[in-house]
Amino acid sequence: MNPKSELLAFLKEIIQKEADEKSMNWLDEKSQKIQDSGSKNAFYLAFSQASRFFSKDKLLLNPETKIKANALIDGFQPEFWNVLQTARAYLLLHFSLEKEEWLKAINQLFETGDLYEQQALYASLNLMPFSEEMLPRAIEGCRTNMTLVFDAIALNNPYAPSHFPELNWNQMVLKAVFMQRPLYRIQQLDQRRNPALAEIASDFAHERWAAGRNVMPELWRLVSPFINEKFMGDLEKVMSSEDLLEKKGGALALHHSDFAPAKELLKKYPEFIHGIEKGAISWEEIGQEYQETRV
Amino acid sequence: MPMYIDPHIHLVSRTTDDYEAMHKAGIVATIEPAFWLGQPRTEVGSFKDYFSTLVGWERFRASQFGIVHYCTMGLNSKEANNIPLAEQVMELLPLYVGKEGVVAIGEIGYDDQTEAEDRFYREQLELAKEVDLPVLIHTPHRDKKRGTTRSMDVAEEHGMDPGWIIVDHNNEETVKEVLDRGYWAGFTIYPHTKMGSERMVEIVKQYGPERIIVNSAADWGISDPLAVPKTADLMRKMGIPEEHVQMVTYKNALTAFSLSGQMHEDDWLKAPPIDQTKKMSGNSVLRGGQVPRVEGPSDRVEN
Repeated sequence: MNPKSELLAFLKEIIQKEADEKSMNWLDEKSQKIQDSGSKNAFYLAFSQASRFFSKDKLLLNPETKIKANALIDGFQPEFWNVLQTARAYLLLHFSLEKEEWLKAINQLFETGDLYEQQALYASLNLMPFSEEMLPRAIEGCRTNMTLVFDAIALNNPYAPSHFPELNWNQMVLKAVFMQRPLYRIQQLDQRRNPALAEIASDFAHERWAAGRNVMPELWRLVSPFINEKFMGDLEKVMSSEDLLEKKGGALALHHSDFAPAKELLKKYPEFIHGIEKGAISWEEIGQEYQETRV
Repeated sequence: MPMYIDPHIHLVSRTTDDYEAMHKAGIVATIEPAFWLGQPRTEVGSFKDYFSTLVGWERFRASQFGIVHYCTMGLNSKEANNIPLAEQVMELLPLYVGKEGVVAIGEIGYDDQTEAEDRFYREQLELAKEVDLPVLIHTPHRDKKRGTTRSMDVAEEHGMDPGWIIVDHNNEETVKEVLDRGYWAGFTIYPHTKMGSERMVEIVKQYGPERIIVNSAADWGISDPLAVPKTADLMRKMGIPEEHVQMVTYKNALTAFSLSGQMHEDDWLKAPPIDQTKKMSGNSVLRGGQVPRVEGPSDRVEN
């Protein structure tokens, strides 16, 4: 099987587990029609009407299926997808045209899409045939204020880390902080940290403090590898917080820093060092607790 | 607390105060008919962005206040008179009519009862048949009685089932014929014009609750987004049985528009299973430091 048919077979398999026979027949019929006719209208209509056949229930995937997904497309995490968006991705992969025509048709779909159609489109950027050309669209998509759509681009999606230039990447991460989205779900966050982002994150923290508001503890993950004299002041402030979760974030940032004063400061908190070494304090755990209790 | 549906309200023109008040008053679902914006559009792209707003941002905005948002899609009668533009809008409509939460073709019909209005009204009746959607008819403000009759005559000429058509903006002069011919009769409660709540009470007393639907049609003009719950309260005070009140302010609208297959009571009674994304649905209508006063999604986001 070529990579595309392999991906299609995989998508069908995971949709099938959550859908009834009637819906699968509909999907077969429509995808065949889209493939044979190459008709934009047939594609648009089926893409919309998929909501009549498929639910927005999350896909339930076993560990092997998750591994297979990642092997097919690097960073593909359908465990965060729902059945409907998976069916829509399946239809989309049957729609093939010459590049220019395809781009025109897909952009029209982005521009006229409803909330959930946009979610499906942005989440499947890496599955698309001309995904390199979708960069301006993905950057534009980050300007949305609809959380569902922003999440589809920023969270559990390999597109931004593998395509966004630093400026746009930093804007996306900062917006995720702004919108209080779970940073641990942004792929390759550690690899794409950079000094400019650390500066922006620190400035943001200062703004929040000036307004008498707290700072999301995951933010210090962005600062951690760049801790220097200047950022030490921020971390000292975090470590003097009354909020245990904020302190855990500060401690973890200090722990991953090579800056000697950071190591010194952390030594005052043996209980955190212990927690970090045991794996009880991690960015994921901090992010989850923050989402569950503070957002 | 009783639940209400406002089956005709132009929410793009309303403030977040309105949304909060509506939610508090018991409005669980709203239908936003595609209409004009108070002045005629000059480009087809304006229609495209408007239609996209109805299925995108406005739906999201409503959800932040615990209100389920549906819409109807159509070319309104006023703007049907710009024929070259209207033709382009007709080409755009098929992109939207099949979308989730689109519960009717509308509001369509007559304004000045011109030839162009007639042409695009008929074309959209055909579109409704093609995609199996009910139709929401806007009856004209001027020459209303004849315009209403004509709307129904033409619908029947096109083989439409009256049970699939909601004829809106009725008054004492039009209601009898609309009901007698088997259509749903919508009534818009406007503070100064059309129907007032008191007149509405009399109509329900006289005709009973069958196939009568109350709405606010609140928009950018003087109008009241709480017209439906307020009218319901007045009906109760005036001795109309609770069951009848519920029919005209909730149940009939649900029955009529759920013919589309796109509106289900479960949409608000049984919110879909909460997943991480839904639970965290950002409340981007709130600005920095504001604490949401509504139930449901509770994070806050600066714009």
